[in-house]
Order: sequence, then structure tokens, then C-alpha cells
Amino acid sequence: MDDSVAEHSRPLRILIADDSDSDRLILKTLLKRLGHEVLDVANGLDAVSVFQREAPDLVLLDALMPVMDGMEAARQIKLLAGERLVPLIFLTSLSEAGALARCLEAGGDDFLGKPYNRIIIEAKIKAFNRMRLMHRTLSDQRDLIRERNRQLTEEQEIAKRVFDNVAHSGCLDASNIRYHASPQSIFNGDVLFASPRPAGGMLIFMGDFTGHGLPAAIGAMPVAEIFYGMANKGFNGQDVLREINQKLKRILPTGMFCCGAMIEADFKLNQLQVWNGGQPDGWLIRTSGELQALPSRHLPLGILAPDQFNADFDRVGAAPGDRVLMMTDGFLESADSAGNVFGEQGVTGTLDRLDGGDHPFDAMMSAVHRFTGNFEDGDDLTLCCLEMMDEAGLATLPDRAAPSALAGPAEWRCSYEIRERTLGEFSPLPLLLHICMEVPGLRRKSGEIYTLLAELYNNALEHGVLELPSEWKHSPEGFGRYYAERDRRLANVEGHYIRFTLHHSLKPDGGRLRVICEDSGQGFDFHNHPSVAPGNSPTMSGRYAGRGLLLLKRLAETIRFHEQGNHVEIVYDWQFARTAENRDD
Amino acid sequence: MPIQTRRDDDGQTLVIRIEGRFDFSTHQAFRDAYEHGDPNIRNYIVDLSDTTYLDSSALGMLLLLRDYAGGDSAGIVIENCNNDVRRILSISNFEQLFNIR
Amino acid sequence: MTDKPHLDEEALAELRDVMEDEFEVLIQTYVADSRDRIRGLQEALRADDSDAFAKTAHSFKGSCINIGAPRLGELCLKAEIAGKESRLDDASGLVDDIAQEFEQVIAGLDGLMVG
Repeated sequence: MDDSVAEHSRPLRILIADDSDSDRLILKTLLKRLGHEVLDVANGLDAVSVFQREAPDLVLLDALMPVMDGMEAARQIKLLAGERLVPLIFLTSLSEAGALARCLEAGGDDFLGKPYNRIIIEAKIKAFNRMRLMHRTLSDQRDLIRERNRQLTEEQEIAKRVFDNVAHSGCLDASNIRYHASPQSIFNGDVLFASPRPAGGMLIFMGDFTGHGLPAAIGAMPVAEIFYGMANKGFNGQDVLREINQKLKRILPTGMFCCGAMIEADFKLNQLQVWNGGQPDGWLIRTSGELQALPSRHLPLGILAPDQFNADFDRVGAAPGDRVLMMTDGFLESADSAGNVFGEQGVTGTLDRLDGGDHPFDAMMSAVHRFTGNFEDGDDLTLCCLEMMDEAGLATLPDRAAPSALAGPAEWRCSYEIRERTLGEFSPLPLLLHICMEVPGLRRKSGEIYTLLAELYNNALEHGVLELPSEWKHSPEGFGRYYAERDRRLANVEGHYIRFTLHHSLKPDGGRLRVICEDSGQGFDFHNHPSVAPGNSPTMSGRYAGRGLLLLKRLAETIRFHEQGNHVEIVYDWQFARTAENRDD
Repeated sequence: MPIQTRRDDDGQTLVIRIEGRFDFSTHQAFRDAYEHGDPNIRNYIVDLSDTTYLDSSALGMLLLLRDYAGGDSAGIVIENCNNDVRRILSISNFEQLFNIR
Repeated sequence: MTDKPHLDEEALAELRDVMEDEFEVLIQTYVADSRDRIRGLQEALRADDSDAFAKTAHSFKGSCINIGAPRLGELCLKAEIAGKESRLDDASGLVDDIAQEFEQVIAGLDGLMVG
């Protein structure tokens, strides 16, 4: 308050230009008596050069002067002032309206008539000074805001680069995935992650954090780390979701959460597992044209404590060619110029009109663009479409393991046994894989190793301990029955166990991993198992349905069964990578 | 006023009524409505009869109220939702946390 | 002729108040300036330059208004209009009137300063 009072009563530097010596003298004296500093000149040209040199706060100009008249001087002075508001008052005994108008056009802000009236002059100076100061305050504030905005934008750019390093696109560029996510979508709170799984299949997560800008983006980083870190190691969707929920519950303030949907695609079993917490309906579009909604059944992530969190996925059979569509809220809330939203009707309408040859992704994107009439990328659309493929075969994980400077463990042995309740509650595969990955030579074989371990474990669990017939899995009806029965039997596993023993040693040209898997089940007649003999049919009942055993045989050096068949020993050899120099070919 | 409150007959229930849009702009007013520290209030009713629209920040505000009112032991009822509001609440499965009628 | 006085006493009193010790300097400046203007008017007439005539009359008018010489100011206004309308033949008589009125004004101002 004190500052502004002082500002308003500070003496001003005033420039006056009048070719009449006596008039100039009167005005100058008047202004000095009011306490101001006065610069006086007799013509327009001098007025302009003094203005440039002395930068006065206020200018009083006679309209008609020799050399350069008031109008022209006014124009030049206003140009020189630029963004600064320097009030310019014309001194004139002109009375003709046209002449006065010309003064204003030239840049004049007001007039002062002759004879000079002390009170009027004082009042006008005060008023214009107030205006001048207010203008300056506004300019300063505007400059401040501009600078802050620029800083914020810069910070956001940096944050985005950090985020991009953490949340790379994974396998979003795979041939069976189509997606749309604007580069700035992270600042809308949208994320889309996709990862292949070590033994085949894919894991996809689509999230929508509450809020906008940096607060919305900041939760995405830990989620990206968790997702890619765990998917890489072979963890399944349930484990990943539990971790994500727990992390978000811990770090996000109450009232902030993340709507999410996760899809675990298994191309070997032709099945999808779906978890939807707060996202719009996902859609399964079968090759037959049949549509199935995948609605939200769970609370969004980050709300429930770990012990209350429900990570149950819904299972759905899906054959090669079937497609799954997922989208975030921004898609439904896309609006046209009248404010109508695309909404659920927009989505279902487009799906209903799908023709045999249409790709649902293209159809949906063009439908929403046609609706909003907007083809620019200032969008808030995140859409993803996954197509089921034929069994991808072996590992699809790219060789991302960085060469280690350490030699790693070469000679070791470990044994890991899980019993009873733990059989249903915990998968030892990520841990076992991790142990094997400590050996540098095995790192680029992670896919094969994981597949081996997974085959052994799944067979030990489902066919050994639980004694589930595998043929059920391969029919649409048997499918649901299989998993229901699996859950039921898992509740009664007293006395049962599965034990893995791993050995590793070096060989002259690389190393050898021996894996022994034992289970407490009945075993099977391995001597007479049809798949051991060549030329058998792939679908057999009981243990090691043909595919499984053939797979193991293909991956491993040797495979041997012991005891009643519930003891399997596999030998896996690896070789040192050959450099260009010592290659024979 | 977009937010109105009243005490119900027994003096133990606070009824909060939101008119129009329930979104980020109602944030402060909503908090002011219940954060008075009155120890007699045991239950809350959120009346959405005149609420036309609900967005994710409103969901967040409901979570904040639930947290303030005791979390899992909170007694909160959300009532009189129109179809659009009901749909938004059910997509987020908020009936798992709130009594919605 | 108009009824305007030679000098506006009130305006002058005001000026004396504003100028304080500078009042005499002001009067002297006015007188010197005015002689220049009258000369200017005569030259413009001789050169038949109505634009210069009008501008000089306008300027002179202004300083007369400020100093408080209303009748002289009005004469200047008439001269300005004549100049603008390019009626310089009418103007010659006006210039004589202006010169005469000016002498009256000086006499009046002198009277003020004495005492």
C-alpha cells in the first residue's frame, strides 16, 4: 500500500512542446509548481529527439508548430514509446471537430485548451498518471505470467523425456497390435503399455490417471517400471496388477486413482484373460462378427488396500483372428462442435455396423473423427486393438540383456520346493528364471529357459498334482470346466509338493543347466507314452499332451523320466557366442 | 449455491446436496461442507437429485469424504442419482465402497 | 467592434499568482514574441502566403488568450479565418487593427507592472 501511494505522488518528468515562448513559459512554471520536472522545446523535431533521449513520463504537445508539427511528432513519439504507455496531451486552441479528431488519430490521448487552467491541468496529469501506472503493472504481470508459462512448458518437456525413457513402447509396434495414443496423452493421464511374455503371449495395460498435467503424469512412471520389469521376468497379469495397485495406493493421495484395464493374451491356449477396473467396456470382436463386451467389474487402481484388492481376471476363449478393442474415457467424451459426445452409443453403433472386411480399429478411429469433425492431433484419444495370433512358438522377447561385466556364477546348485497351499498361491517361475539369468550365457536364452520351466511346472501342477485331463482345455466348453475344476482341486492339496532342483556347470564351449522337476502326483507310463514314439496324434489324454513333450524335446539336449514319471530331468546346453573372427561360415 | 447442507432429524446425519455439475470447481465447497469436526455426525448422505454431471474429480472427492468419515467403517449413502450419474458410479464400481440407492 | 476588454484582469491576477517573481519575465517574453508575430503577419501579407498568415495568426491568438488579452485574441481569430479562406485583401486592414490593439495591450500591461 505504501509503495503505490509513493508511486502515485512521485514527481513526473514531463516534456512540453510549444512554439509560443510565452505559452511555454506559463506551462513550464505551472508544472514546476506542481512539483514536476519539465523539459521544454519549441518545435516537433526537438520534441522527438528529446523524447528519445530523456524518456519522459508524459508529453504535452502543441498541435501546430514549425519544422515538424504536433501531429507528426505525436506519431513518432508513440512509435518510440512502443509498449510503454506514455500519455500524450495536445495543447490547442483548435475548436474544429475535424482538427481535434485528427489529433486523436495521430496518437493523442487528450486535449488541453487555452487559456491554461491550473486545476484542469493538475487533474488531467493525475488521471493519466494513474492510467500509466496501472498499465505498467499489467504489463509486468503479463510478462511474469508469460515467463512462468514458458518454464512450465519446459519442465513438462523434460518430464516427458524422463517418462519416455521409462515407458518405452514395449511391443506396441508388434504386427498384431494397432493403437492410437497422442504423444501428449501422458499429460491427460493416459498410459498404454504392451509387453511380450517370456514363454509367448502378450500383456497389455491401458490406464487413465485422474487429473491433468504433471500430477496425472507422475503416477505413470512407477507403473511403467512395474509393468515392464515384471512382464519381462514372466510374472502374470494378476501379480503385476497387485503390485501396481499396492504401489498406487501408497503413493497417490486419497482421491486420486487410476482406471485401468489389463489383457493377458495366451496364443497357445487361445485364451484371453481380462481385468477391467473403471475403464469403459472393452470389446471382443470374433471373426464370426459376434461381439462380446468386457465391462468394468473392479474398482480403479490405487483405492483398495492390498488385502482387499481383487485381481481376479475373467477368462474368455479367443481364436486367431479374433480382436480385442480397448479405449479410455477420452474416447467416449470426444465431442462435436455442438457439445454432443461420442459416448457408448457411438462405440456400439460403429461396432454394429462393422462389415466383414472392416478392421475395428480403423472403423472406430474414422467414426470418432467423422463425429467430431476434427482431424488434428490435439486429441485425448487412446485406443488399442489386439489381434489373436497362432501360437507364436518360442520366445518372442527381444534380446535386451546387456552384456555383464561380471562373469556370473558358473558352478552352482539350488533346490526350491513349494508345498500344499503355496501351490495354488504362488508361481516359482519368475524366481527360478531369475536365478538362471544370473548366468550371462543363459541370458539371451531367457525365452527358452522360461518355456522349459513353465512346461515342467504346469505339467507337474495340473497333470501331476491336480490330475486334470488336458483335453478339456482344447474345447470351448471344456475350457471353463477345466479352470473351474482347477480352482476346486487347488483347495485340496494337503501333502502335495513340487520340487525344482537346478544344477549348472561350465563346459569347454559354454555351459550346462540341469533341471529336475519332481512332484507328488501319480506319474504316468512314460515308457509307453505315445508321444515318445514318432508319428503320433497331438491330442492325447493324460499327462504331457503331445505338444508339451515335443516342445521339451526340441528345447532340451536330453530329457529323461524317472520313478513313476513324476520325476523329470532335463539337460540344457548353451555355447559361448562366437565372434565374427572365429566363425567358420 | 451449488452445495447445500442440512442436518437430518436425529442430528447425527449430515445431508450434502450438490446442484448442477459435480466437478473440480466444487472441490473446496464440498470439503468445507463436511470438514467441520462436529463429533455428533455419524452418517453422511450425499444427495444427487439435482446433480447433472459427475466426473473423475468428483469420484475423488467422494473418496476423500469416505476417508474423512472413517474409511471402511464410514457410513455414507449416495442417493437419487439420475441415469448418467448412476452409470458413471457403476463403471467405477463405486457400489463396492458406497451404499448407492 | 466587440465589447471585449483589452485586458482580462482576473486572468492576469491568476498568472501573477502562478508566475510569482517570473511575472515580469513572462510579460517581456510575451511582448517580444508578439512583435515577432506581427512582423510575421506583415511579411506573409506581402508574400501573399495565406497559409503562413493563418498559422501565425493562430499562434498569436493562442498566446493572447493565455496572457489575458481577449480583444487582441479575437482580432487574431478573424485574421486566422481570413488566412484560411485565402481572403488576404480583407486581411490588410485587420493587421493594422492588430498592431493598434497591441499598443493598447502593452500600455495596459505597463500600467500593471508599475506599483
